[in-house]
Amino acid sequence: MIQLKNIEKVYRTDTVETQALNNINLRVAKGEFLSIMGPSGCGKSTLLNIMGLLDAPSKGDILIDAQQTLSLNDRKLANFRNSKIGFIFQSYHLINDLQVVDNVELPLLYRNSSAKERRMLATEALEKVGLSNRIHHFPTQLSGGQKQRVAIARAIVGRPEIILADEPTGNLDSAMGNEIMNILLELNRVEGTTIVMVTHDPNMAQRTHRLLRLFDGSQVQ
Amino acid sequence: MLKHLFKLIWNKKKENFLLISEILISFMVIFAVFTLLVYNYQNYKQPAGFDAEDVWAVDLGVMNISKHKDSASVVHENLRNVMKDLPQVKSISFSNGNVPFADNYISMGLTYKKKEIYPDVYSVEDGYKDVLRLTLVSGRWFSPEDNGREKSTIILNEEAKQQLFGSGNAIGKTITQYDDKMKVIGVVQNIKGQSDFKVATAGAYQRIDTGRIRGMSQMLVRLMPGMDAAFEGKMYKLIASTIKSTNLEIKHLVDMKAEKNKETTIPMIIFFIVAGFLIINVALGIFGVLWYNINKRRAEIGLRRAIGATATSVSMQLLGEALVIATFSLIIGSFFAVQFPLLKVFDLPASVYLQAQFLAILFIYLLVVICALYPGKQAASIYPAVALHEE
Repeated sequence: MIQLKNIEKVYRTDTVETQALNNINLRVAKGEFLSIMGPSGCGKSTLLNIMGLLDAPSKGDILIDAQQTLSLNDRKLANFRNSKIGFIFQSYHLINDLQVVDNVELPLLYRNSSAKERRMLATEALEKVGLSNRIHHFPTQLSGGQKQRVAIARAIVGRPEIILADEPTGNLDSAMGNEIMNILLELNRVEGTTIVMVTHDPNMAQRTHRLLRLFDGSQVQ
Repeated sequence: MLKHLFKLIWNKKKENFLLISEILISFMVIFAVFTLLVYNYQNYKQPAGFDAEDVWAVDLGVMNISKHKDSASVVHENLRNVMKDLPQVKSISFSNGNVPFADNYISMGLTYKKKEIYPDVYSVEDGYKDVLRLTLVSGRWFSPEDNGREKSTIILNEEAKQQLFGSGNAIGKTITQYDDKMKVIGVVQNIKGQSDFKVATAGAYQRIDTGRIRGMSQMLVRLMPGMDAAFEGKMYKLIASTIKSTNLEIKHLVDMKAEKNKETTIPMIIFFIVAGFLIINVALGIFGVLWYNINKRRAEIGLRRAIGATATSVSMQLLGEALVIATFSLIIGSFFAVQFPLLKVFDLPASVYLQAQFLAILFIYLLVVICALYPGKQAASIYPAVALHEE
C-alpha cells in the first residue's frame, strides 16, 4: 500500500543542516495498522508528513498503491491526498467557526459532490464515531475526546484507504485515549483501512499490528 | 464552496464587523463620488446648444448718452454700423445682461392654461441666433415681420416648451406674463448657459426693446477665427470712442465658460482627493486585515491543504472570503443607496443614482480583489506540513 525507499530529509538554514530522516525503508501493507514510536524530535511527524505527501523528502521515493508520487504536480497531489488519505492530528485542527457537521464535510468540498451527498456522508461518519447528536454543535462546545472523534469523522468521511494519525491520543486522558484507539482499531478491522499512527504511548502501540521505532531519524526496529 | 464561504463569514460576523463597516463606509463615499461624476458627465455629454467659440461679449458699461429713446437708438445703431464695418466681425447682436456664462440671471413668470414656469429670459435681437449659432427645433426665429405686431412674440427652448406644453405643439399658442400676451413663434434647442456641467434650464427669448438702454447692456460679437489681443485692443478703442462708455469690458465666451466650469471642477477635484485618501486607507485596511487573517489561520490553511485543497484553491478561497465580506457590506450599502432615488434626494434623475451605485459596486469589488490577491498568494505558498504544527 505504502512504500518508502531510502527516504532522507534534511532541513537546511544558512548556517545549520539538520538530518531529520536517514535512509528510511518501509513497506506498509494494505489493511495494516502500524505505529511509530520514538523520542521527541526523532523524525516521527516528519516521516508521517512525507507519507501523507504533505512534505517532500530530500532523497528517496514514495509509492502509494504502486504509484510514484514525487512527480505529481500540486493539483494531482491534492487530489491524491483528498481521495486516498485521511489525517488525524494531535491538536484536532477543527475550524471553530464551523459546526461539527461542516467540519466533517470539509474534505468533500474539494470533490465533485452535491451538498445533499456531503451532508449524508458527514452524518454517516459522525454516526460511526458516536457523535450524531452533536452535529450542530461548534467545536468549542465539545470535550477533547469529542473533538478528536470529530477529527476522525472528518478523516474517514471521504472513505480513504489510508489514515495517518499524528499522536491522536496525545492530548487526551487514558479513558478518552482508549475510546479513540478503539474507534481506530474498529476502522482498521471492519473497513480494512490502513492506519499509520505516531504515538508516545507504548500501550497504544502494543494494540497495533506492528511497531516502527525511530531514533535520530533512523529506523531502529 | 460559495455556501461554505458565506457560512464561514456569517459565523465570524463579529470578527468581520469592522471590515464590513469599513467597506460599507467606503462604498457610501464612492457612491457619492460616482453620483457626482455620473451627474456631471451626463450634463457634460449634453449638447451645448450653441457655439461659444470666437464669440466675445462686450459689456457696454455706463454710456454717456441721453435717456431719450431715440438718442439711445442712434448710439446703438452707430455702434452697430461701426462694428459691421470691421471685416473681422461676422455678426453682432445686442442683448440684455443675461448672456451665456454671465453672473446675471433674469427670469419672469410665463403662464399657459394655469401652468406657470419661471424660465431664464434672454432679451435679444434678430441676429442673436446667428451670433451664437442656436439650433431651431421648430417654428421660426425673430424677423422684421414681428415689427409692430399687436401681440409680442416669444421663442422658448425645449425645456420651457416641455414644461408648458408637454409633448404637444407650442407654435402659435399664446402664453401670458401677467396681462401681456405673447405668441410662441419658435422652439430652439436647450443651451447650457451656466457651465458645461450644469443642466440646461428652461429659457425664453424675447425680442429686445431697442429703445431701452438697460435692456441692451451687452453686445455679442461673432468674429473670424483666431482674433488676437491686438485686435481686441483695437476693437476696444473703437467701441469706447463710439459710445463714450466709462467702464467698457470685453470678455471671451470661452474664457467665461472655463471660469464657470471651474466652479464645478475645483470642488470636485478636492472631493476626489479626499475620497482618494480614504480609499487608500480602506485599501490598506483590507490588505492588513487579510494579511492578519492569513497569519492567524495558518493551521487552518495547512489543514485545508492536507485534506485536498490545491495552492490555487486556498488562494481563491481567501479571495472569495474577501468578496463575500464585501458583498455583505454592499448589500447593506445598496439598501441605503436605493433610498436616494426613491426619496428623490437632491432631485437628481434616478438613472444617475443607479449608474453610480453600479460603478461603486464594481469599484469596491475591484479594490477588494486587488487587496486580496497578494495575501491570497502568500497563503497559497504556506507549506502544509509547517502550518499544521502551528496553533
